[in-house]
Amino acid sequence: MKKAITAIIAVVIIALMAMGYADTAAHRAHSGAETEVDPQEIIFEHLGDAYGWEVPFNHSKRIPLPIIVRAQDGSWHAFMSSNLEGGAQYNGFQIAKGGDYNNKVVQILPDGSQYRPLDLSITKNVAGIFIAALLVLIMVFKVRNWYKKNGMKAPRRFTAALELVVDFVYTDTIRPIMGKEAPKYGPYLLTVFFFILTMNLLGLIVIFPGGANLTGNLAVTAVLAVITFLVTNLTGTKHYWKEMFWPDVPTALKCPVPLMQVIELFGIFTKPIALMIRLFANMMGGHMVVIVFMLLIFIFGSMFGTAVGGAMTPLSVALSLFMLLLDVLVSFIQAYVFTILSTMFISMAHVHEHAE
Amino acid sequence: MELFKPEFGLAFWMFIAFLCLFGILAKWAWPFIIKSMEERADLIDKGVAYAQEAKSHLDNAKAEADKLIAEARNEQADILREAAKMRNELIEKAHSEAADEAKKVTEAAQVSLEQARKEAEKQLRTQVGDLALQIAEKVIRRNIANDDAQRALVDQYLSEVEAKN
Repeated sequence: MKKAITAIIAVVIIALMAMGYADTAAHRAHSGAETEVDPQEIIFEHLGDAYGWEVPFNHSKRIPLPIIVRAQDGSWHAFMSSNLEGGAQYNGFQIAKGGDYNNKVVQILPDGSQYRPLDLSITKNVAGIFIAALLVLIMVFKVRNWYKKNGMKAPRRFTAALELVVDFVYTDTIRPIMGKEAPKYGPYLLTVFFFILTMNLLGLIVIFPGGANLTGNLAVTAVLAVITFLVTNLTGTKHYWKEMFWPDVPTALKCPVPLMQVIELFGIFTKPIALMIRLFANMMGGHMVVIVFMLLIFIFGSMFGTAVGGAMTPLSVALSLFMLLLDVLVSFIQAYVFTILSTMFISMAHVHEHAE
Repeated sequence: MELFKPEFGLAFWMFIAFLCLFGILAKWAWPFIIKSMEERADLIDKGVAYAQEAKSHLDNAKAEADKLIAEARNEQADILREAAKMRNELIEKAHSEAADEAKKVTEAAQVSLEQARKEAEKQLRTQVGDLALQIAEKVIRRNIANDDAQRALVDQYLSEVEAKN
């Protein structure tokens, strides 16, 4: 049985490689010249957002996604991204190549200049976020429905695994830190954890439902950090603000020159920014390293010839596989770190008078 | 670097998606899951405590049963001992009572014997007197005849009397 599976996997891999080779060969024969591989472009294309979703083994086909833009005159336009494929214009909109708005939808004004409209398109990343949110919903409701249906019986299989994670995050992390406030903030923190974890793991899957670099995008992590920032400061106790503006330190440190106040105020903002940057950099870095290891084949190929590039293949694949597996671990760790730090920031804003 | 420029559209949808997700989960899923999980943890804790208690009860029960058995044995031995003692006492008592009774019977017998003897003696005395009177009568009837013969006659009667008794 095991041998049969191994054999099937090997055959599939060889078939894929042959297809890829045929594809490249056809491409070369068609264009007539060897096209230079641009690693930077490939990396940014994979890490960045797009208006369509790639399908495997095809460089031009994209799954079309809706584009929603507000033109300069204030009118809203909605159409499918397939209308803009290959640099085509539609209703005066176009995907810019190069310039300030590289790979973004722009409106071509009558005088020929580009105008960047208010862009609420369902891009690849937005669709990815929706898919991740839906997956989280399904998973969490699976656990909930188990309890609804089976009461006190222990869950099995996937539900049990989910429950283990919920237990780990809530009982072992949130509750010891938050104490009796845990039931109030638990839902927010658990949602953050599962949403980030799902987005992280989806980003590691190469084909359709995954492949969007969600948490490696500054906008996504910024929103999460801002929400934590808002929760922290809007629910802060009086004592939290008193500690901020009139802390228990020698008067010289706070009266003529508000040294402590400046440091504390600075701290309010550095905390969420650190959250944002940490998640973003970890996930983006992981993705980037995986792609770079794969691109080593082509970089070596163009530097020392195809044979060297081919010889690099096993090493490249092994390294990027290793990085991918490491990223699975990092996905969990970063989701956990974001959650535990949010928990600590929120609980630190809920300080009460020191017990005398 | 476009990677470091956050897109407004993406942030907007992210915010919406997160709020929806949070709203739904916080209202219908998380509190219920947390409550159920805590309830089950409590149930399991209680079950373990209950099992431990039951086990200690069982261990105690064995010891208690052993104790009861030992007590019962002791009691049994006591009862047996007492019974033996009682039996001995009863026997003793019976013995002594029997002895007393026998003594009484003997005494009564002696008394009646004595009485009988006395009566016999009395009877004997009257008989002897009667006899003596008869003899004397006979002697008197014959005294004219022979002195010697009279004496011999008295002797004869006396020996007759002796032989009679």
